[in-house]
Amino acid sequence: MSHTNPEPNKAKPLPSRFQVGKSTLYFDNFMNYAIKIGGIGVIAAICGIFIFLTYQIMPLFRGATVEFEQTLDLGNLEISAMGIDPWSQLPLFVSPDGTLNFYDIQDLDKEYNRGFFQMDPGLPDGVEFPFTRYSNHEDSAIFGTADGRFAVVQVEFESTHPDYRSREVVANLTTTPLFRIGLDDGEFEQIDYVDAGRNKLAVAIQRDQEGQRRIFAVTFSQNQPLIGDPVTVRDREFELSDLFEGEARFMRLTGDSDFVIVGTDIGELHLLARERGGFTNRQTIQPFAGRQSETIRSMNFLSGRLSLILTNEVGEMMMYSIFHSEESDERILGRTKEFQPALPTGQGAEFYSHTPRNKAFLVGGGNYAQIRYATTEAIRWGGDLDFTVEHALLGRRYDRIMFVDTENQLQIFTVRDPHPETGWKAYFGKIHYEGRTEPEYMWQSDGDDDFEPKLSMVPLIWGTLKGTVFAMLIAVPIALLAAFYTSQFLKPEIRRLIKPVMEIMESVPTVVLGFLAALWLAPLISARIPSVFLIILSLPIAVIAFGAILANLPIQFRKWVKPGYEFLYFAPFMMLTAYFAWQMGPLFEAIFFRVENPETGEVVGSFAVWWTETTDYPVRLRNAFVVGIFMGFAIIPTIFTIAEDSMTNVPQSFRSGALALGASRWQTAISVILPTAAAGIFSAVMIGFGRAVGETMILLMATGNTPIMTANPFDGMRTLAANIAVELPEAAQGGTLYRSLFLGALLLFAFTFFINTVAEVMRQKLRDRYKAVE
Amino acid sequence: MNDSTETLQQAPDIKQKETDNPDKTDFRQDYISFRNYNFFYGPTQVLFDVNLDIPERQVTALIGPSGCGKSTLLRNINRMNDLVDGIRHEGELLIDGTSAYDPTVEVISLRKRIGMVFQKSNPFAKSIYENVVYGLRVAGRKKKSSLDEAVETSLRRAALWDEVKDRLGESAFGLSGGQMQRLCIARAIANNPEIILMDEPCSALDPVATGKIEDLIHDLKKEYTIVIVTHNMQQAARVSDQTAFFYLGKLIEYDETEKIFMNPAQKQTEDYVRGRFG
Repeated sequence: MSHTNPEPNKAKPLPSRFQVGKSTLYFDNFMNYAIKIGGIGVIAAICGIFIFLTYQIMPLFRGATVEFEQTLDLGNLEISAMGIDPWSQLPLFVSPDGTLNFYDIQDLDKEYNRGFFQMDPGLPDGVEFPFTRYSNHEDSAIFGTADGRFAVVQVEFESTHPDYRSREVVANLTTTPLFRIGLDDGEFEQIDYVDAGRNKLAVAIQRDQEGQRRIFAVTFSQNQPLIGDPVTVRDREFELSDLFEGEARFMRLTGDSDFVIVGTDIGELHLLARERGGFTNRQTIQPFAGRQSETIRSMNFLSGRLSLILTNEVGEMMMYSIFHSEESDERILGRTKEFQPALPTGQGAEFYSHTPRNKAFLVGGGNYAQIRYATTEAIRWGGDLDFTVEHALLGRRYDRIMFVDTENQLQIFTVRDPHPETGWKAYFGKIHYEGRTEPEYMWQSDGDDDFEPKLSMVPLIWGTLKGTVFAMLIAVPIALLAAFYTSQFLKPEIRRLIKPVMEIMESVPTVVLGFLAALWLAPLISARIPSVFLIILSLPIAVIAFGAILANLPIQFRKWVKPGYEFLYFAPFMMLTAYFAWQMGPLFEAIFFRVENPETGEVVGSFAVWWTETTDYPVRLRNAFVVGIFMGFAIIPTIFTIAEDSMTNVPQSFRSGALALGASRWQTAISVILPTAAAGIFSAVMIGFGRAVGETMILLMATGNTPIMTANPFDGMRTLAANIAVELPEAAQGGTLYRSLFLGALLLFAFTFFINTVAEVMRQKLRDRYKAVE
Repeated sequence: MNDSTETLQQAPDIKQKETDNPDKTDFRQDYISFRNYNFFYGPTQVLFDVNLDIPERQVTALIGPSGCGKSTLLRNINRMNDLVDGIRHEGELLIDGTSAYDPTVEVISLRKRIGMVFQKSNPFAKSIYENVVYGLRVAGRKKKSSLDEAVETSLRRAALWDEVKDRLGESAFGLSGGQMQRLCIARAIANNPEIILMDEPCSALDPVATGKIEDLIHDLKKEYTIVIVTHNMQQAARVSDQTAFFYLGKLIEYDETEKIFMNPAQKQTEDYVRGRFG
């Protein structure tokens, strides 16, 4: 067959009149792909934002990594205490012979490296120091003699750059004379010394010849001679042993030298206050009362000398802090944290070291070590070591851990933990911050060195919701009623005018609204809050009353009010009502918000004072109420436009059907239009909600940006969005604040995404419903 | 209280009357009366000097090509055109002797007197039951038993009762096209009106459903004055007693249906009913 009809399937060429132009086809294809790419691009961009935000906040929820760095042999150096410079490269070892020994561990193989060297602080020769201690926080070493004297050696570290490449740390020593404290023949168990400017205080626990522990305090004052440096003079000595029961085992001084905290052998904690030239026992508590072990095994300060980390014999760990008591306004000691779980060693802490950089501390015993973070109570890292720890040190920059083991080897580890203060609890949990009276949700991102960052997202979420709720309270009734009236009652000619006007209103930059809110409305309203109340109260009543009168007029009069033009009569009436309400405000205030001036006994009307007296909340100039009004204005057009559309788009046949059955316009609107458009109205509200949640400028300018959590409408707040704008200049790239702002952004994004998705789904449902009847 | 049930109970009397007076002289011949009626949509005049008397309890068909103004005329009777922008009218429209556009006339009560069935069935997004009682509910009737009764009688009148009696609570959107249209008729009847306007009620229906509706119209004229707009000549011929032919907004001819279709006075009418244009 093939030879007769070689190509049976070949079609005849199409006549040219049926052919489609090549360019038409190309263009069609091109647009097809372009649109597809566009659509996929949008989805990809959304996913990209989400992934990027997630990627940015991931490090906030990771723990610390600790890696072994090197081991250095300390030979037969006798070590009784250990310290380090601020750059973690010059560890120092305190020896009982009164010397400080440094080891330059930076660039050990370089020729300029000093290696191991010793410095003499200038203490008297030939004196042994059975007690030594090094405080890494104050960079000071305390030496105690066997005959009841002690000296403080202050170490000042300086960094130099001799070859412009690497840092060399130089230490300068200042030594006090030997001061006498306590017994001549006592054995020092603890010495603490605080230099709070003019107030200096030393406290020591000594064991007397009978083995009895006694505790002594010595105050110092500073004399300024006419010429030369100030001289520290020993003032008075007190014995504190009789202020409490039992024997003192542990003792620490607070940074302001106001308090001596003593832990006793019977498991009690005493807060000894320095007042009226002496010491009183202000408070006695039993930190581990009712626990498996009530004995205090260790007691150490956290950075800041305000919080104590205590452990008992079974490794349970607690934090006690000094804060103002709610009742007496005195400073007291109270439990602020309990660290869970207990130390896995099952014993009290044998070593402890904290870093002045943050609230992290290194704790452990034997060959187990752990880094915990006090604020969040979290274990940042924990692990077994190949050696038994004798001395341990957490680097001042929270970058290294150094151990001296039982074989006098210096074991150096690197700590990598860029965001130790973060975690779920830090962002969403109630935390008892240092110096605060109770656990709270707080946001306060920066402060001085001893500052504990407060990163809770909860006040910001609260602020966001508060601002949104107030805005919705104002916007939803106005926008929905306006949409309802416009779509169902207003003459279509006027409706066609209103819609574009509303859309223009939507495009007003919110910075303008914020500016008006902050500088014009806030002062105006805060002075006339009762007037505003009166307006809100009187307008609906007046309108309903006016409507009722109109409806009951005989038809002869009523016929002058043309359907669709009712607003011509209502609008002036409403304006008059509002004006009267505004003017009546002060009278209203004088009648209902009366307060008595406690000094003169005069009774005056003042809403602000009345509110503060009644609710205990302040009335602030920039508050949620003002924000609600202006943000309401910003979202009214959004809600109005969508709601109006959904009501206008209800098929005309529904309206005709109802009207033809003798339903009034109101009955038609309520019983037919509203149920049909409900989904659209809901979606309008949701989109308005989403817009309010993400709104920034108005809130930034008119809220005062105080991250407080009260429901008080006359107080400020800070929202997630405004928080990002406010804190952005402070956030160093990659820092905790930076990532925390990203977390705020992710929350905001997730929130608005969720709301808008719900709204969109509702609208889609509405469209399907319309389709069913068309 | 002018209850629909009462009226329906009177129905046998009306039938009686009809048989007694086959030429219907007892009924008003100018029940709905247009006098020199002009109507404008903005600048466009749609109706030109219409004079038309529609008799009581008869079926009057309005026919004519698209755009001739017949639907506009129909919608004027219950003032549904009020919804439209820029409308204006001249001349008089009297319903049972009263001007429909008198400022003292409540448009709502006017519409209660005049039921309307639309080209496309438009049940509400409610149950069958709620659709039927809608007019009664908006009029303030609340008693369950009287509503139940109205539903049954109206649905029976609309020849729908047997088909839907077991699913009154279900959505009206579950019905077929013909059933929906009969539901709309039932809804109109439930209000117990005096006049029923029908705007091409069968244009979206198949022949079987159309037949049912036509039978229904035939039944209903015993109690109601019916005005029907239709494009379907056969339908007009089948169901109506009077027929008015409109062309370009003018009433060309109005007479007994038989005369219009068999022996029209005007050439245009003849051309139209013979299908020469339209």
